Amino acid sequence: MYKPRKLHPISAIINFMKSLKDAIFPLIIVFLFNGNMFRGDVEWIPLLIWAGALLLILSFGVIRWLRFRYWLEDGELRIEYGLIFRKKRYIPIDRIQSLNFSEGIFHRPFQLVKVTVETAGSTGNQQAEAELTAISRMEADQLEGLIFDVKNHGKGTEAGEDEAPQQPERTKVFEMRNKDLVLMAVTSGGAGVVLSGVGFFFSQILDILPVGVIYEEVLNWIKIGVLVVAAAIFVIVLVAYGISILLTMLRYARFTVLLDGEDLVITRGWLEKKQMTIPLNRIQGIRIDENWIRQPLGYASVTLISAGGSIQKEAEQQLRLLPMIKKTEIPHVLKNVLKDYKIDVEYNRLPARAKIRYMIRSSWFAWAACIPVSYFFYPYGLLSIFAALGFTGIGWLSYRDAGWNLSGQQLSLKSRSFIKQTFIMKKYRIQSTYLNQSVLQRRAHLKSLLVALKSGAGTVVAPCLYMDQKDAEHILNWYRPYS
Amino acid sequence: MEPSKRISQRALTLWRIYGVIYTSVTLLLTIGGIILVILFDWPWWLIAIAAAILVLETVFLIWLIPSIRWKRWRYEVTEQDIELQHGLFIITRTLVPMVRVQHVDTEQGPLLRKFKLSTISISTAATVHEIPALDEEEAEHLRQSISSFARVAEEDV
Repeated sequence: MYKPRKLHPISAIINFMKSLKDAIFPLIIVFLFNGNMFRGDVEWIPLLIWAGALLLILSFGVIRWLRFRYWLEDGELRIEYGLIFRKKRYIPIDRIQSLNFSEGIFHRPFQLVKVTVETAGSTGNQQAEAELTAISRMEADQLEGLIFDVKNHGKGTEAGEDEAPQQPERTKVFEMRNKDLVLMAVTSGGAGVVLSGVGFFFSQILDILPVGVIYEEVLNWIKIGVLVVAAAIFVIVLVAYGISILLTMLRYARFTVLLDGEDLVITRGWLEKKQMTIPLNRIQGIRIDENWIRQPLGYASVTLISAGGSIQKEAEQQLRLLPMIKKTEIPHVLKNVLKDYKIDVEYNRLPARAKIRYMIRSSWFAWAACIPVSYFFYPYGLLSIFAALGFTGIGWLSYRDAGWNLSGQQLSLKSRSFIKQTFIMKKYRIQSTYLNQSVLQRRAHLKSLLVALKSGAGTVVAPCLYMDQKDAEHILNWYRPYS
Repeated sequence: MEPSKRISQRALTLWRIYGVIYTSVTLLLTIGGIILVILFDWPWWLIAIAAAILVLETVFLIWLIPSIRWKRWRYEVTEQDIELQHGLFIITRTLVPMVRVQHVDTEQGPLLRKFKLSTISISTAATVHEIPALDEEEAEHLRQSISSFARVAEEDV
């Protein structure tokens, strides 16, 4: 490990595929503008440009692989790459928070893994992050071992760093049952995402294809009848839903949580196997989500709020500790992992005078929209009243589901917008606390509490709106550090 | 229980000047509008609307909002924590323990400098908090004491 090493040659291909993915849309457009291939009058110049671009991307991938070196030296993980601009990135091993492994479809046949190095990410940009596109499983394990050796060795000389010694054995904390996996896929909101993807695809095609032709086609369709269109839409929705179910199942198959000394290790995935390490001491709090399909079934998901790493976009998915679990089982599972977090606490409800405010808050815009809609689309516009009533109902639910609890060092806040969320956090992890009060709330002696936690490179805010003023101030005083 | 200190009295004057700047932009637009109305024979009520906006802006931006804002702004810094309170219609009270403070900045634009004022911003790992328009020396003093308090207070993030 102390000599510079290359990545596995397959990384050239992976680099190529990655660049290709970014360039795919321009390439498809060039292809589509290339006359009508079926009539035989192919224009050669665009095709040549196409081939040239492809070749260029491929050679970039190969060069990137050729110039990439990594090794360990002087307690640092050192990486050098780049053809014209030589880039060197040295990461002190003490700064490394975790190594994450993942295996894509290209990795599987060759026993390779992709290694992502997570650091504390002090400034929030992605500067100190590193990625080894493909190395052999053996090398990865060796690297992990060496890095932990260095970290533990450095512990003796460096005061202030307090990290518990690594335990060799891993204990399994949680494994998702197949029944739950299926239930999760079926009740996931992913269908919406796939649908918007389909919509995006169609909008792209409409931009590319000559609109006049399409227009006539559409007129013909209308002649055939609205029924066919409706059926088509229904089929598309159904297919999208199916794809979403499949994707969720692939992504979360064999979901397992292991406790490895002071780290949590999450592994998941069927085609692409992912492993994610979260140091326990970076965990800032936990969030329990219950969406409106899963809540009646008694299911919830648990997400960790972690300060570790520079993960930003995908953080949500990666930090899901228990993606689908019976709510009653959560305390039992977390008891082994996060010992000082109490899950089954009694929540204090909000005062009754907050109820009407929740209802107004969630529905005033709907009622306001109701008036012009009912007026301009007279008979059918009146139906909008039902929508407004629906929003009022959501407000009532939000009131019913809101709550708070203080016990020792722990603050728990419950709230609902559409999804019911419960935040559980420790006093010493809260970054700052806000109390809001509008002029109207002052008359009713109500205050809103907002609590900020660090999450990755950003912030997450746990709310509890319209609490009794005394309770809100009590919590603020609880948060105040005493001398 | 409320934080005790107010921000500089000069902030009020400064905010009123900002209000005057905004209003004079509207004034110029209104004058341009009046000329257009006369030249092209547009309806006269356009002028009335513009005048109403101008009056409202004068009342709110120059008179009401700066004074309410100034009256509401309070802060207090102790060795243990920083407490802020501000807002127009919604009053926000913020508590930041010293142990959470990562760094402190002071900042001064040209107008602020003219009034010997300076804005201080306090960053935690996740949030940024600002006290606008403090007296220059007060801000400097505050920045130094916050950073020394923050250094003393120890706890893991």
